[in-house]
Amino acid sequence: MDDEWAIEVKDLVRVFESRKGFFFSEKTRTEALKGVQLVVRRGAIFGLLGPNGAGKTTLTKILSTLLLPTSGSVRVLGHDVVEEATWLRSRIGLVLGGERGLYNRINARENLRYFADLYGIPTDERNRRITEVLERVDLTWAADRRVEEYSRGMKQKLHIARGILHRPEILFLDEPTIGLDPKSARETRKLVRSLVADGVTIFLTTHYMFEAEELCPQVAVLSKGRIVANDTMAGLRSRVGGDRTIEVEAYGLEDREVAPLRNLPGVSKVAGEEFGPLLRLTIRIRTDETTPEQVRDLLPGHPELMVRERRTSLEDVYLDLVEEEAR
Amino acid sequence: MTLASASVSRTRATGASVRLAILLFVADPQWLVPSTIAPIVFGLVSFELFRGEGPYFLTYAILGAGMMSMWGQTLYGSGWATGQDRFLGTLEPTIQAPAPYLYVVLGRIIWNVVAGLFGGLIVYLVVVIAAGGPPQLPNPLLFVVLFVFVMVTLASVGVVFAAAFVYSRYAGFIQNVGEFAFYIGTGCMFPVVLLPFWTNPIALLFPPTWALDALRYVSIPGYTGFAWGWGWDLFGAVAVTAVYAAVAGTVFDRVERHVLESGQLSDY
Repeated sequence: MDDEWAIEVKDLVRVFESRKGFFFSEKTRTEALKGVQLVVRRGAIFGLLGPNGAGKTTLTKILSTLLLPTSGSVRVLGHDVVEEATWLRSRIGLVLGGERGLYNRINARENLRYFADLYGIPTDERNRRITEVLERVDLTWAADRRVEEYSRGMKQKLHIARGILHRPEILFLDEPTIGLDPKSARETRKLVRSLVADGVTIFLTTHYMFEAEELCPQVAVLSKGRIVANDTMAGLRSRVGGDRTIEVEAYGLEDREVAPLRNLPGVSKVAGEEFGPLLRLTIRIRTDETTPEQVRDLLPGHPELMVRERRTSLEDVYLDLVEEEAR
Repeated sequence: MTLASASVSRTRATGASVRLAILLFVADPQWLVPSTIAPIVFGLVSFELFRGEGPYFLTYAILGAGMMSMWGQTLYGSGWATGQDRFLGTLEPTIQAPAPYLYVVLGRIIWNVVAGLFGGLIVYLVVVIAAGGPPQLPNPLLFVVLFVFVMVTLASVGVVFAAAFVYSRYAGFIQNVGEFAFYIGTGCMFPVVLLPFWTNPIALLFPPTWALDALRYVSIPGYTGFAWGWGWDLFGAVAVTAVYAAVAGTVFDRVERHVLESGQLSDY
């Protein structure tokens, strides 16, 4: 058992088999995870990105003991998710979020009390713990209202409250800010950071690149059931060709005009995307040598030319990796 | 691969589940129909059906209608609770909690048995009011003991039904199709000896058949059931209930493994 790792996944494969039709049923087989390898350090926030259907939720459910792996080894907090599921369940929290997953006809306090009992929280601590998590997610004011009266954001907060009620060592958050207004989303991110400060390991799946960039020192990209990248932000930027990106937008740019851009110093990649007559070029640069002015100088005869520089974002990295995988 | 044993107290899991079931029951007015209105209808129908059929017709009427309402509440409620967990998406977080799920289900069933008892009480009151007085009971103490046992047998069937609902989202189909067949097959309204002989072996697979037959033996002098007296019925009921309890214990582990393999916990 290695104490350094909160999560260790080796050669994880998950296959879903289903049948369609009643009398002449047809068996379908979907390989959702295809040999996933992954380690997550204890006490860190780990971000998992991927397009819809990439296998993020499947992986999260396996790690949180809600789904059995077809093959491979999965250890969380040094314990096997299949053999030691019950031991693990009291030490991990899971927030799947969304509109479902709560008893709508009773209030938030009663929802939490039920799960406090199922998690074996000592009875003399139970009420204090419930009050504490309700305060932490800013739901105290609505604690005695029926959940069916809650907005989507309030339900999401209640999901999080339930996820941290038993003080888990590791918390799985599956798209925790989806559907939240900007203020609630910001509060959720703040909460996540405070949990990490308390020593909780966070495994976060998200579609929001800025969120992953803001929260996660380490990010993995899952595409078509495979981890196609797993690195720090700096490592990922370097992998897709540099920390700097220059964007160029112009009408009627021709290939012969674009070609010299590839020879500029430090340029690792030039990619184009057409929007009707408008061409948007993304130039990835490894060094400081090439500037937007040099790019502008190489494209004379385009008075409407728009050139701007920005830092390579996680979104750039993600799109590059997913496109690469799709090819 | 085996799933690890539970670390949360079984009593606590059961207690939490009973509490939740009561809260949901109180919060959901639709339960007034099976728990109050249906027993009134059953009681009146049964009273009219058995009126004048010998000196113990009142007992027949109460037992028949009372069992129907208790059976409906216990069995239908137990399956429905798990189906509702699927619908609400609460089955996943409940199974993900360390409490043993069998005892969570047991809590729901205990409440359903109590709610069923309430239905039985309503039937009793309806029939007594309609008849203008209570029925004669030759051995009230034994009747009460056996009656409690009837509830246990109902609960044992409820656990197995609930397992079916965890296993598959299509379990409601079996329940909807089978509900009235079970009513008749287990002798709720009519003793199973009145049914064609080929149905008797099937009826004997259900613990309430035995328990109800025992109850009729002790409350209706001269009653001829399928056993040689209430003692034999009780023995049969204990044996079949023990089988159900053993099946439930092992079935739940397998059912949990199946749903974790199939990944259909959140499907409805």
